[in-house]
Amino acid sequence: MKTRIPIPIKKLLQDKQDEKLKKQQNNQSGPQSQDQIQEQAQDQNQSSQAQKSINISLNLKENIDYIKKTVGNSSDIVIREFQAGQNGEIKIAVIFTDGLTNSAELQDFVLNTLMFEIRNAELDSMVFDRSNLFNLIKTHSLPVSGISDINDFQKLFLNLLSGDSILFIDGCSQAISISLRYWADRGVEEPSSQTVVRGPKDGFTETLRKNTALVRRRIKDPNLWIDTQQIGTKTQTDVAIMYLKGVANDKTVAEVQSRLNQISIDAILESGYIEELIQDETYSPFPTVYNTERPDAVAGAILEGRIAIFVDGTPFVLVVPALFVHFLQASEDYYQRADIATLIRLLRYFSFFLALLTPSLFIAVTTFHQEMLPTQLLISLASQREGVPFPALVEALMMELTFEILREAGVRLPRAVGSSISIVGALVIGQAAVEAGIISASMVIIVSLTAISSFVSPNFNMSISVRILRFLFMLLAASFGLFGIILGLIVMVLHLNSLRSFGVPYLAPFAPFILKDQKDSIIRMPHWSLFSRPRLISQKNIKREDTPSPKPSN
Amino acid sequence: MKKIICLFLMFLLISSLLTACWSRKELNEIAIVTAIGIDKAKDGYLVSIQIVNPSEIAGKNATGRTEVIRFMKTGDTIFEAMRRLSTDVPRRIYVAHLRQVVFGEELAKGGIGKVLDVLSRHHEMRSDFFLTVAKGAKAYDILNVQTALEKNPATDAANTLETSEKVWAPTRPVTIDELITSIVSKGKEPILTGVHVYGNPESGSAFTNVQNVSPKTGLKIDTIGVFKSDKLIGWLNESDSKGFNYITDNIKATAVTFPCKDGKITIATTHSKTNVKGKIEKGKPKISINVTSDGNVGEVACKFDLSKPEKIKELNKKYQHSIKENIEAAIKKVQEDYQSDIFGFGEVIHRTDPKAWKHLQQNWDQEFAKLEVTVNVKAEIRRLGAITESFQKEIEE
Repeated sequence: MKTRIPIPIKKLLQDKQDEKLKKQQNNQSGPQSQDQIQEQAQDQNQSSQAQKSINISLNLKENIDYIKKTVGNSSDIVIREFQAGQNGEIKIAVIFTDGLTNSAELQDFVLNTLMFEIRNAELDSMVFDRSNLFNLIKTHSLPVSGISDINDFQKLFLNLLSGDSILFIDGCSQAISISLRYWADRGVEEPSSQTVVRGPKDGFTETLRKNTALVRRRIKDPNLWIDTQQIGTKTQTDVAIMYLKGVANDKTVAEVQSRLNQISIDAILESGYIEELIQDETYSPFPTVYNTERPDAVAGAILEGRIAIFVDGTPFVLVVPALFVHFLQASEDYYQRADIATLIRLLRYFSFFLALLTPSLFIAVTTFHQEMLPTQLLISLASQREGVPFPALVEALMMELTFEILREAGVRLPRAVGSSISIVGALVIGQAAVEAGIISASMVIIVSLTAISSFVSPNFNMSISVRILRFLFMLLAASFGLFGIILGLIVMVLHLNSLRSFGVPYLAPFAPFILKDQKDSIIRMPHWSLFSRPRLISQKNIKREDTPSPKPSN
Repeated sequence: MKKIICLFLMFLLISSLLTACWSRKELNEIAIVTAIGIDKAKDGYLVSIQIVNPSEIAGKNATGRTEVIRFMKTGDTIFEAMRRLSTDVPRRIYVAHLRQVVFGEELAKGGIGKVLDVLSRHHEMRSDFFLTVAKGAKAYDILNVQTALEKNPATDAANTLETSEKVWAPTRPVTIDELITSIVSKGKEPILTGVHVYGNPESGSAFTNVQNVSPKTGLKIDTIGVFKSDKLIGWLNESDSKGFNYITDNIKATAVTFPCKDGKITIATTHSKTNVKGKIEKGKPKISINVTSDGNVGEVACKFDLSKPEKIKELNKKYQHSIKENIEAAIKKVQEDYQSDIFGFGEVIHRTDPKAWKHLQQNWDQEFAKLEVTVNVKAEIRRLGAITESFQKEIEE
């Protein structure tokens, strides 16, 4: 008898053979090719270093020409040449990016000083030494706080294009970068995604410095360290990590830094880029990096020993490590009293499961386990289903899909027409579909319940993962009933257990179970009893406070 | 990566071979059976089922069609008949929501043991439905009546059974487990509550029947039927049925009426607890029944002075006596007429003296018939109600 091997398996076998062959080839030519790669890398390094190491020349004209050539005469690069000194012997040029510099201040404190006031200073006797001149101007004639020396064009362009003004002096091989950055930006506004009833209403903006300032204002501790670097070969986006030295785990800080250093990309336009590039697990519906628009949430996280990652150009700040419980905590939990905060947290956990499982449970019970329903309810549900042409799964999928479309449309629509969507959604789809007998009324209730439950989640990330999983659970429920749902839940919990966020088990403090950390996970104990930081996140400096529980002192 | 894709494709292909959804049934594809009636046919059984019409019972726009539909088919076995019913019923018969199983009296007299197998074997059947006997009627007649208050007659009957047990206690809802246990047990005989149709069963089927304030035809929960093994041998009357419930500690609340000087007094029993003890004396089994009962004065339709403590004591005595009489009458009736130990005295003896029971159980029926039973009632009246003294005196003055 001839054994027949299915095509996919054949392919698999072939692939394996191919791989083996390749490996062998690699082994044969291994050392050589590695050398080649190294050589290439070295070449690249050298070439990039070569680019970097173009130093500023003594000749002002050469420098200006080089800048003009490099930026292609871009119209927003303003080059102002003038001559200073009593006899106009000192050739000076100020270069800045229009729109990123406060030109009024530049006028007042740089141009004015150097063009007019310097004339009265009788500098000429000392002018002959050019290096002396450079220091003299820097120390005597620039009433600006943010000043730094620049030796090469690489740094020059970074500063220039970040909004600094560059001061060239003819005959000096250094330039001065004057920080007079100013650009039109959004002020500090109330965050749009995570609003609170009680609590601070300020939110992050698109400017990194403003954002770090918002957190610095909350934690006035010298141990609050900020470590900034540029990521993105083209965008040179400022990315700052902020942590509380001595509270944050050093290993985690090092891990975050090393992951950030590994990024080699041309552009970082939003913190989402960073999130995807440094997160632990890509193929997971669950987020392992937390993001927030709220400075108080970031401050709280930093005080717990977590690390914040600020990215210039976005109000969304990343926080790592991010555990499952963090996504179900809102900053308001800590501002309201402990009892109501606990109650609301319980409600949040409950609605997490509602959002995840309601449609699938409904499908499972009504198509597989009718015996679980009370008779009256069964009859009532059955009467609603009379004449509905689709199976419960199709019904649920249709409604869920409609809802997802509605939600997406609602997000993208201009505000002015936004309200019409809700009318169309609520009336036309909900009411009409039931009256037309396409959808049973109970399904509308189920989908609505699911929808409102999914909005309870304080973090958008988690509700997205719930949205994805909900459909999987619905399919499981439709094919295997409750058995399928339990199976899905088991797989989900297994997966959650396998996740880690920067070395911390994702389900902590439930798995591994940490008794001490239960005080701020599902329930929120009163502040005087939140005596220690989460154990797995901050392993040094655990003690938070020593406040006794408030009692009348009689 | 290629490997992963290949494995994934294989997984998809294999999963398409898996036959899922095999037990899937949409709500509008099932016929919800709420009552089954089983009668004796020439050979085999005549099975009738009552199916609800959901949109008529719970729908917003009912069309005026009947709320329940009855179908009947005969078969050599009940299962066969049930399957044969599929030629009549357009939907899949679904019995998980069964509320009531009715046996025809003829079948009950002939023995229900064989019938019970399918009821406990069928995986869809839950064990929470009540079993009843159609008193003096065919089971299919019971299933042929529209009820006015509850749209679903099976629910109507089951609820009536439960309510009457709770407040008046002449009935006893029996579930399948209970029934089978007492059939199998040697020291206890089964009972089932009777249901009967008053009026003409045929006209009870018509919708016009329930359009009357007092429907001409309807269902009535009757008293308790006594079985010996699996055969119905007779019926208790209402007071004996209550007595039965006293003995088996199944009184949640009831009313006890006894005569006084020129009228009657009713005590509402609010709490009752029965303790049955057995012992063997000189080889003779003896049973003692201890009833503790609390009650409130429910109605005083005579001149009786409730304001004096000694009068209350007198009332207590009467109350006790009345319960005692009731119990003794029930025992006497069962001992004399049926010789069937429905009270479970045999089990009590079995528990107290297993060795003696070994000898006794062979002819327990005879032993039961001459069993010596002593009844002690400790009953007390706790509250007098909203008024203390009856105004009956003033009426005559």
